[in-house]
Amino acid sequence: MIAVIGLLVGIVAGLFLEPSVPAWLQPYLPIAVVAALDAVFGGLRALLDGIFDDKVFVVSFVGNVLVAALIVYLGDQLGVGSQLSTGVVVVLGIRIFSNAAAIRRHLFRA
Amino acid sequence: MTAADSPPSNDGHPDDVRADVPEQEPVDRDLGRRRLRAALNSRPTRGQLVAAVLCALLGFAVAVQVRANQDAGLSGLRQTDLVRILDDVTERSARLQAEARELEGTRDKVSGSGTRAALDEAHQRSRTLGILAGTLPATGPGIEFTISDPAGKVTSDVLLDALQELRDAGGEAYEIGQIDGAAVRVVASTYLSDASGSDPRAGIAVDGRVLTSPYRFRVIGEPRTLAAALDIPGGVLDVLRQREAQGIVTQRSELTISSLRPVPEPEYARPAPQKSSN
Repeated sequence: MIAVIGLLVGIVAGLFLEPSVPAWLQPYLPIAVVAALDAVFGGLRALLDGIFDDKVFVVSFVGNVLVAALIVYLGDQLGVGSQLSTGVVVVLGIRIFSNAAAIRRHLFRA
Repeated sequence: MTAADSPPSNDGHPDDVRADVPEQEPVDRDLGRRRLRAALNSRPTRGQLVAAVLCALLGFAVAVQVRANQDAGLSGLRQTDLVRILDDVTERSARLQAEARELEGTRDKVSGSGTRAALDEAHQRSRTLGILAGTLPATGPGIEFTISDPAGKVTSDVLLDALQELRDAGGEAYEIGQIDGAAVRVVASTYLSDASGSDPRAGIAVDGRVLTSPYRFRVIGEPRTLAAALDIPGGVLDVLRQREAQGIVTQRSELTISSLRPVPEPEYARPAPQKSSN
């Protein structure tokens, strides 16, 4: 419950504060957001599976974000930043979809 | 909230993709919903608080990113993308500049100063040709040359001689007329003939128009040269004297020749294409 509230608070804060993204963060923020989304969906699925754990969630959240940012950074250094970003987004998207499928089966049995 | 692990979220086991198969067993029926409801109703613990903070962070980041993306600024792009965009813009700008130059050229051609000069030149040319062809009135210094022929011995060849002398002397525009009557503009194609074969009294036809004495030449040119040309020994004035006629030359600093001739429309001749503008 409090997590949902936190999400809403974060969105509202982002909309109303309108902070500008610092330049060094700009390439990483979209990938980090997608990675965090993956972690959240994974967490939701684990919750429905009855195996949710705060620590694991936190670690997976932070880990996902850091690894995604690292991959993008590495890609930028290697000159394949945009391609690697696309790859990361595709992989994370697949994971989000599979997690979403599992959640759907839990909630709607379909 | 009580379980030990959440592998689907963080390690990407192959199970992730096909984990759904066992969950279709009836044992799990409504279990997920109950767990969800329990989680929503549960009291916040410290771990949940951390998760909530992370969720808030995620929401914040999503909102910021969406907002930044809507701005669609260039600042978020990579160097390679920026270089590509710069190339595109440069190319586009070069193309547009070329187009602008072309259009400016066209505009100058249509209304610019170059055209005006050409137009002025064409006007000037047309005026000059109009004076030569006798389609425009002309004004300037010149002489009036009056021939009175009481004896009726002045024939067309005398007038033709007079005209040729005046042409040689640099006359630029001519008319032949009667003292108080009509005048005929003299051009390249003008011809003189006796009006009725043998009798000079009948007058002289200039371009088919019959004039009778006294005749009057009006010529624009250098007045002194023109007058001298008529006065040479054995010249026009001498001939007139021999024929008992009287020639009077009056120099004028300003005279206007206003008789005109119609512009003939060539029936067969067409302007040949010009190879160079001259």
